[in-house]
Amino acid sequence: MRLSKPAVASLVVAGLVLGTSLAVVYADAYQDRHMLMEGINDAMKPLGAIAKKQAPFDAGVVKASATTIAENLKKAHELFPAGSDGGESRAKPEIWTDREGFDKQMKDAQAAAVALQSVKDEAGFLPALRTLGGSCKSCHDMYRLPEKK
Amino acid sequence: MIRRRTLAAIVLVPAIAAVAFGWLTRPDPLPASAILKHEADLRSGETLYRAGSCLACHRPPQGASGLDPALPSGGRPFPTPVGVFYPQNITPDAETGIGRWSEADFVNAMARGLAPDGRHYFPAFPYMSYRAMRLSDLLDLRAYLMSLVPVSSPTREADVPLVALARRGVGLWKRLAFRQRPWPPGADGSPSWQRGAYLVNAPGHCGECHTPKNWLMIEDLGRHLAGGPHPAGEGKVPSLHGLLARKKYAGVDDLVLALQNGETLGYKNLSSGGMAAIQESLSHVPEAELRAMAEYLLSLE
Repeated sequence: MRLSKPAVASLVVAGLVLGTSLAVVYADAYQDRHMLMEGINDAMKPLGAIAKKQAPFDAGVVKASATTIAENLKKAHELFPAGSDGGESRAKPEIWTDREGFDKQMKDAQAAAVALQSVKDEAGFLPALRTLGGSCKSCHDMYRLPEKK
Repeated sequence: MIRRRTLAAIVLVPAIAAVAFGWLTRPDPLPASAILKHEADLRSGETLYRAGSCLACHRPPQGASGLDPALPSGGRPFPTPVGVFYPQNITPDAETGIGRWSEADFVNAMARGLAPDGRHYFPAFPYMSYRAMRLSDLLDLRAYLMSLVPVSSPTREADVPLVALARRGVGLWKRLAFRQRPWPPGADGSPSWQRGAYLVNAPGHCGECHTPKNWLMIEDLGRHLAGGPHPAGEGKVPSLHGLLARKKYAGVDDLVLALQNGETLGYKNLSSGGMAAIQESLSHVPEAELRAMAEYLLSLE
């Protein structure tokens, strides 16, 4: 098949546009999930303060923080399209080569955050927080690269 | 026709070089007579095992069936830019572990980087730090390892180019590296500060990753614990001075909680780059010992 020059040119332009827009989507996926993770980190702070007895137990605070964490995790989980590693991202390629394992980690973390929402007293709080924190830890251990800068 | 002198040079020069190489790289073990009689203390042994995070490297491969992940049967790949290392089985199994090692064998492995057969270990096994451990502590640690359940799991040779030659060549490197003191002296601090300095630098071997190395792959003590490239080749290991300067930890209590709990209590960035297994191990160190480590670390700012 022979293509005319204008046809080739338009294909090239279309390719470039598509490529650039995909790159933009991926860059945004990284930015967005990074913001969500920062939000989780912020929401962990009042929980950590209660666990360290720097603040009194407050079911309302726990519920609000756990809800933010659960929602952010759910949104972040959808922001790992293939090829969105590299650059500033610390995502390990294992997220895509072992997608099942990664999905399980993310779902376990969400379940732990949901369980923490309905904690009513201090006795139930610490074990629930440890389960949630433990899921952050094991997922970061397996699927996050060391710091880059 | 080759002249006789040329022929002599072709044969002799490599022969002399090989003999010189062999002599310069020869192992230098401690004799068994250097090991003093010592009543081993298993609790001290376990503290050293946990402070040294032995299991973090000597774990079985991820998901290996039939191997308890809580026992140091070794074999999990340890990738580096030089090649992949497979840490050895350090359970007391007689055939594949350290079950038949004498006290002198164990001390030579830890303090001299030598296998019982006299071969050099690659310094991915951090004997440059362990060489500063007290003899009594090494014997306590050995006794603790000997008290673990034996696991049969053969050790695999490293995937390093020209591995036998490279291994022998480590002897040359050791001649240079062993000349340097293990860590810079600090202020003449309290006994707990001294204990902390010892735990962090000798069994804890924090500097193996957190201190950058010079072009000879020897720790640059001028930048002790100042961070460096990640040993796996991608990313970096943070400077401990930097973390403190940024007031990441509010004080001894806070740093102890961070080492005990890591990200479980929201202490950020204590799980990636291999730190998760180290923090997990440190969480089993008695609190008084962790406080000593924290006191020393906080004095580094």
